[in-house]
This record gives sequence, C-alpha cells and structure tokens, in this order.
Amino acid sequence: MPDTPILQVENLSKFFPVQRGLLRRTVGHVKAVNDVSFTVNKGECLGLVGESGCGKTTVARCLLRLVEPDQGRILLHGEQQTFDIASASRKEMLDVRRQMQIIFQDPFSSLDPRWRVTDVIAEPLMAQKVGRGEAGRRVLDILPTVGLGPHFADRFPHELSGGERQRVSIARALIVSPPLVVADEPVSALDVSVRSQIINLLLDLQSQMNLTYVFIAHDLSIVKHISHRIAVMYLGRLVELGTTQQVFEECKHPYTKALLASVLIPDPTHREQSYVLEGEVPSPLNPPSGCHFSTRCPFAQEQCSTEEPDLRDMGGGHWVRCHFADELDLSEEIFAPQFDTPTASN
Amino acid sequence: MPDSQPILEVHDLHVHFKMLAGIVRAVDGVDFTVERGRCLGIVGESGCGKSVTARSILRLLPSSDTSGQILYHPDGDGQPIDLVSLDAKGDAIRAIRGKDIAMIFQEPMTSLTPVYTIGEQIMESIRQHQNLTEEEAQELAISMLNKVGIPDAERRFGDYPHQMSGGMRQRVMIAIALCCEPRVLIADEPTTALDVTIQAQILRLIRSLQQDLDMSVIMITHDLAVIAQLADFVVVMYLGQMAEKAPVVELFQDPKHPYTQALLRSIVRPDTPPREQLHSISGSVPDPRNAPSGCRFRNRCPSVHDRCVEDPPVVQFGPQHSATCWLYVDE
Repeated sequence: MPDTPILQVENLSKFFPVQRGLLRRTVGHVKAVNDVSFTVNKGECLGLVGESGCGKTTVARCLLRLVEPDQGRILLHGEQQTFDIASASRKEMLDVRRQMQIIFQDPFSSLDPRWRVTDVIAEPLMAQKVGRGEAGRRVLDILPTVGLGPHFADRFPHELSGGERQRVSIARALIVSPPLVVADEPVSALDVSVRSQIINLLLDLQSQMNLTYVFIAHDLSIVKHISHRIAVMYLGRLVELGTTQQVFEECKHPYTKALLASVLIPDPTHREQSYVLEGEVPSPLNPPSGCHFSTRCPFAQEQCSTEEPDLRDMGGGHWVRCHFADELDLSEEIFAPQFDTPTASN
Repeated sequence: MPDSQPILEVHDLHVHFKMLAGIVRAVDGVDFTVERGRCLGIVGESGCGKSVTARSILRLLPSSDTSGQILYHPDGDGQPIDLVSLDAKGDAIRAIRGKDIAMIFQEPMTSLTPVYTIGEQIMESIRQHQNLTEEEAQELAISMLNKVGIPDAERRFGDYPHQMSGGMRQRVMIAIALCCEPRVLIADEPTTALDVTIQAQILRLIRSLQQDLDMSVIMITHDLAVIAQLADFVVVMYLGQMAEKAPVVELFQDPKHPYTQALLRSIVRPDTPPREQLHSISGSVPDPRNAPSGCRFRNRCPSVHDRCVEDPPVVQFGPQHSATCWLYVDE
C-alpha cells in the first residue's frame, strides 16, 4: 500500500493556563500536548496510547478544533484541497468536518437525551445544510450499516443499550461519509461481550468504506489488534512512534516497554511476565526536567534529568525519544517476575 | 489440597429489590465458598449481581430482600455466624464489618470523604474496632500507609484526599481496609478506575498482602485478565445467576457454560491475529427487570434449545467445577 498522507500533524502544542486565587492570575501552564508531530496515511489505523493525563484526548480534540491548538499545523489533505485545521476559518471548518468526524468515549453522555436517534444522526447533515427529507433518507440508509434496524430511528437514547448507543455515535460520525474518523476510547465504556461487536464493526466499516482511523485507547491489547501504527505519549510528549510490530515487538523506549509489560495476560498459567513500573505519572503542571520519564525509568542516567532527548529516527519509520535508544537492552530478563504461577487444578 | 478450610460460605443467596416497575432479582441463587488464604474471583458484566453479592455479605443493602445463608467462620473453634440473620444496623454486624471482613470499593475518588484527612479516616476504623490510644492508633495508621507503599507516610498522613492521585487514594482505601487485619478482603473492581501501570501495582500489592497476612480475598471484576492473574477459584455470573464455577486454570482451559466460552473467546489475547474479526456475543445484557425466564442467557446463547425456557440444572464436572446449563443433560 503506497503511503499517501491524509493528515499531517506538525509541532502541535496545547498549553492550558492554570489560574489561582481571587484575581484568577495565571500561575503556570499544563503542557497537555507539547510539540507533537505525526502523519496518518490513507486507509490506515493509527493507535494513540498512553496513561491518563498524557494528552491523547487533547490531541484528538485539537484535530477537530474542539479545543484551539496553541502552536503547530494540522494539515488535512482533502479530495480537492488541503486545509490547515489549526488556522482554518469557520467556513473552512465546515468543509473540514465533512472530511473528519469523531466518536466519543462515553455513549451515555455524548447523545442528547431529548433527541430521537434520527435527529442525533442527522445533526451533522443539518450543519452541512442538507434538507430534512434528504437527511431522513440518509439516516435510514446508514442504520443497517452500523447494525441497527430502521425501527431505531424513532427511539430515544435512554431506550438503547450501551452498545446500541455507540452504534448511533458511529452512524452520526459516518453520515457525512468522512474519509477520516477520530475514535476517542470508543469501547472502554462498554461491557466485555459488546466490546468485541463494536471492534468488529469498526474493522468492517474501515474496509467497506476505506476509512482512516485515529484510534485512541488505553487498552493496549485492543490497540494492538486494530492499529497498523502506534504512537505512545507520556506527559504531553510523543515518546515512541512506529508500526505495531515495531512498538510491540521491538520497542526501544523504556516507558513503552513498561506499559506493554503491565498488560495483564488473560491466562492463569502465565502469571510471571508482568513487570510493575514504580511510582506514578508526575503532575503535568510541573513535569520533571530533562526526559519526563527519567523519574520512573529504571535506566535513567545523569544526562536524562538534565537534557531532554529528541525524537530520533531509528529507521523504518520508527521514532523514539530516548538518549539511549540504541544501547538499551529491553529484553524480558530485566523485568522481575510478579506473581507465582498456580499449579494445575486438582 | 493442603488446607481447604472454608472461611465464608454463601448458600442459595437471593437478593431482590422491590421497585415501582416490579421486582428486580439482582442475585438469584448464588452458592460459593471462600477458603482461608485463597482468592475467589467473581466475574461478570454490568448487572450480573457481582457487586450486590459483595455488598450483601457485609449487609450493606438494608432495604433489599435478602434470603439464603452467608456463613462466616471466625478464627478458632467459634460457631459459624449466619450474616443474613443479623440485624443490618446492629452491633453484631458492625463488629464484623471492617474488622473481620473489610471491603474496598471501585471508585477511590468518591469513597473517601473529602472533609477529613486520610489519617483521620484510617484512625476512625482503627479506633472503632481496637482499644488503642490516639498515639497508638496514629502509629498503626502510619505503619499501614507505609505497608501499602505510600512514600513519605508521616507527611501524607495529614493530606486530604484531593491532594492525592487515584492510585494513592486506592492505596489509602486498602490501608483502611487492612488496618484491623481482616480475615476476608472484598475488593469490588479495585483497579477499574486506574491506569494500567497503577493497576499492576495495586494488584501486586493485594496479592502480596494476601500472602503476608494469610488473608482471603474476594476479587470482583469484569476483567478476565485480572481473574487470570489473581484468582484461585472463579464464579462466573450472568444477570443474577451463577453460570459457572471452577478452579481458575480449569475455567480458562475447559469452560463449560456457553457464556463463559463466549466471553473467553471474545477477549483479545497476545496471540490473536491482528485485525481479524473477534468472536462476539450477539445482543447485549438485557435490563434485569426484563430478564428472560428459565436460563437468563438463552436469548443470546449460540446453543439455545427448547429446554432453556425452564430453569437449568447445576451440572457437576468435577469436585469443584459446575455449570448451570441444560447442554450437558441428556433428554
């Protein structure tokens, strides 16, 4: 597959001011997204992972201009023209939103309880000035695509289960046939038995409609399953970017390794892999100097706390932000065993 | 098996709630035994009754209609106590609650009161159950904070909950639960609200405390990976009923109930081929008020047949392995 970029994010930053006291004086900034750059190619799924507070949701919201980015460019290569989302006018944003839509995490709060399903799904069309009759027809067309019957059109969100609501959110995103969809934790609020249905649906829709996804999640096994490439964030910084194979099998950043090792394996006969990262994510208001991960990194040297590493190209599209990415041996042995394995049942 | 002394036995537990819209049978006939020093996992999706089961052990649901038996075996040769027969607000259950059986809840953000320091909240539990002076209680509280891995415990003792992160608050909850050295710890989704790296820390802490204090743990979760990593014995619940119970390795290697089988097939494993369709269960969990009669899983079950409209029998597959399903009964 030739790599045609559809979205290029260049040096994106978003700093939220922190205000204190009676006069609401600005006492500092939370660097929610700090100089993040990545490219999304047509037809692929880019996974964006990290712990809470790492800035992944802020990146998603910047992509849609739901929060205003402070710095950087977000280039969307549309069919006819290229937009810079970071500086687009209101009118241009209408065109952008025809090319790019978002699916939110919580299907219980992202649907207006007083709107019928048909109105919820048709809302993006209304914004695009499509007539009511036409909009109604397109809603009935899209319902079967997301696995809902036509009788759902007249229901209210409270009559639907979590999985059905998330299908409605997906239909709302896809109604304007956008080539690019940002999915912010689309399955984490769902029951286990429904989660796999929605992942299957997202995979199906991607191949049927030739969609491109930016898929944000904290569940690494799901991200691994659905993504072609993965970006790992820590405290507002991109720390590793590569293909799923590179990030999961050949990761070079100690944080990525720790994140992967803390995934619990659903197999009671394998209780030994888990490595536990000590400490907690520092406050994004006051991140550690030098490499932000240096306070928790088992390999930190003096240089790490004074000098911030650059994102370096390791070849083959694999980027790592670590001073010692070439030298570190991130093999299994350094990670201590966690639990003892139970003996087979008796 | 070395010592399989039961510490808690639940027999035919039913918990019903009377609602305007009718009776919700949140828990309908649950049986299990918690052994000394072992971890029992209860797994299921939302509405399966796992949290209600946990809360009814401590009689935290006074307005419910609870029947059945919950036998607690105290240390020594004492007679077992039937917790269901106790007055939910009486002294007898209050002496057990927090002392012999302690609980940690899902939301570390909301289960601590914001108006007291964490030190005061730990000492409240200590002084309720132990006859200690203020100084002794404070000393014990600080040593508990150290034990659960809170750095700089003396200073953090005077912190309010809002000054701590989610992982730290969950450690405080664990410290409160453990300060009276309970025989049984009930952990209701203790890591669901936490990040993956913190989840691994908390689970390791629970496991090591369980071994050090020879404590029994009831781990309640929707996450089969947590069960696989921690539990010795597993109860699978669906809509208030027990679908299957088995030792953990047996459950993962040879599941019998179609629901357990489907759940285990639907999770992503390290060796799942990327981007392939996952196995899934059709439909979603029905509202507990409209639960189907007979087997409650029947409207989503791939192996459903005519008999499933009647209550399914419990079929034994080994001394400790059983499933509640018609599939294994000859016509």
